[in-house]
Amino acid sequence: MKKIIIKLNQTILVGVAGLFLLAGNVQAKSDIQKVYENNCASCHGSDHGGYLAPALNSETLKGRSPTALRTLIMTGSFETLMPPFYGRLKDAEIREMVKHLQSTAKQDNPPWTIKDMKASLKVYIKDESTLPSKPTYQIDSMDDLIGVAARGKYGRGKGSKAIFINSKTHKIVGEIETGTAAHIIDFDPANERWAYVKTDTAEVFKVDLYSMKAVRSIKTGFNGPALGVSRDGKYLMAGSFVPHNAIILNSDLEPLKLLELEGVDPDGKKVSSDSGMIIGTPFADIFAIALENAGQVWVVDLKEGFPITKIKNVGRHLHDAFLTHKGQKLMIASYDDSVVIAIDLKTRKIIKKLKAGCVPHVGGGAAVKVNGRTLGFGTNFGTCDNNTVVSVWDLDKMEVVKQIPVSGGTESPAAHANAPYVAVDIITKDRRARTIQLIDKKTLEVVKTLDVGGHAYFPEYSADGKFLYVSAGYAGDEVVVYDSHSLKKVASVQMESPAGIFSRGRVKYMTRGLSPDEME
Amino acid sequence: MTKLIMVLLLMAVVMSTAAQAASIYAGKAKAAEVCSQCHGVRATSSDAPFPPLAGRDEEYLKMALKQYRDKTRISDIMNNIAGSLTDRDINNIANYYSRLSK
Repeated sequence: MKKIIIKLNQTILVGVAGLFLLAGNVQAKSDIQKVYENNCASCHGSDHGGYLAPALNSETLKGRSPTALRTLIMTGSFETLMPPFYGRLKDAEIREMVKHLQSTAKQDNPPWTIKDMKASLKVYIKDESTLPSKPTYQIDSMDDLIGVAARGKYGRGKGSKAIFINSKTHKIVGEIETGTAAHIIDFDPANERWAYVKTDTAEVFKVDLYSMKAVRSIKTGFNGPALGVSRDGKYLMAGSFVPHNAIILNSDLEPLKLLELEGVDPDGKKVSSDSGMIIGTPFADIFAIALENAGQVWVVDLKEGFPITKIKNVGRHLHDAFLTHKGQKLMIASYDDSVVIAIDLKTRKIIKKLKAGCVPHVGGGAAVKVNGRTLGFGTNFGTCDNNTVVSVWDLDKMEVVKQIPVSGGTESPAAHANAPYVAVDIITKDRRARTIQLIDKKTLEVVKTLDVGGHAYFPEYSADGKFLYVSAGYAGDEVVVYDSHSLKKVASVQMESPAGIFSRGRVKYMTRGLSPDEME
Repeated sequence: MTKLIMVLLLMAVVMSTAAQAASIYAGKAKAAEVCSQCHGVRATSSDAPFPPLAGRDEEYLKMALKQYRDKTRISDIMNNIAGSLTDRDINNIANYYSRLSK
């Protein structure tokens, strides 16, 4: 009996030791995965499948020199958002990371359920009635606010903020720390005091613009920029790349309905899809959402049960969109077939597919009225086959007017009813990335190139059209302000890695360039 | 004749100063290429472990870069980066950063 007990003890000991060993292994593995999650995932994707930045997994990094990868992590990559991790990660961690990335397959979609979302809701200010009843800073009109998504050099940390500027004085009036890189800022069309900020790690912040404080936040997924606000300000919808879903929230950021983004793509294959753009419209109580990989646009009615109308075979890889005709028509870009598709949100049918440039990325789009015509402007990421253009369409006739040659790939057009030029950002990764090109609304030709410096992108006009704001992005760390007529530089606002710029004026003119009075 | 010599001499003086004077524009271009990725333009990231360079003493910047280049001051990363800089680069960079306001 004694013997047996001893034996048993030994077995238990061995067992326990084994457990420790096992735990040690698991621990080590999850440690480096944690380092990935805390430093890399917001740009490269929580699933290692890529997001703003390339996918990092055993497939994509096959055959790459570990030394070269280690150097890249240490020094960062010039002309991209990749920061130097020297001094932030230990050399041993960087070496282990390279090994980890080269041996880890792209992960399955990690689950993030409605329950997880509910548990992630943070309330910073419980009683909204305690908030001030008017702005606590000097501003003529709340439309003069311009929000800038400052990414922060590392895409996270103290530099990651939503920064609000009074576009008449060019002074910062508020800063909201967002923890990770702010990506999208949407304003409540019905109540001027609210704005919503979405980060690259899919947190949504509700911001009180009067006190410049975050009121609440919720984590809606792991990665994904899509966010829309309904015309009455009562609903929000946020969509993710990881995992493949979208959530309808109320204005207290409480989750109401989760949509799994699955559909049959134009090749007849059933696919699970990233969430492309989500947009609310002044036309109706609906959201439109693009299923990137399924090539479908879903129209969600904001009523009992949130019924969905699915518009199929829209395009091969849908991404972003803009509205026209009082918000009844949606112009959506399809990356892979180089078209922009016009959709009627009333009949919920495709009107027409219009030729764009190479890899269209309309980035919020622009529309201007010239000589009785309403012209839509679409930027294009790509530069293939010398087809480097900004596309112009007649939005009434739904036909191509011109493909305007520009000096490189473009990401986002800005226009204003009171400004003479449509501004587009050249993003081709060389010295051209420092520039913004200006297209004359009347002649539809590039008439001027501004050398902003840094990686200049996301032009935006102030609500009165008098000033053009441009992010001198990473390597610039400032927002530069120009007079929109003389194109003279009038101000510089310092911040860390500014990206998207969003004027509150957008809720008035719906699409940039249209008149705020007519809302056409 | 004396006039011509005077003019030639003057030109020579002007040209030699031009050749030696540090160029703030060349410094800006070089800094964008080599330095600002870590040290920023006016400020570095609030989370970055790198010191900002804007508004620092010009002579100090020159000295530090030359020490890093000569490896009399040791830093694995700075020894590598400064190793690629010429005297002229160093003068230009120091000229540029020292004149930038923080």
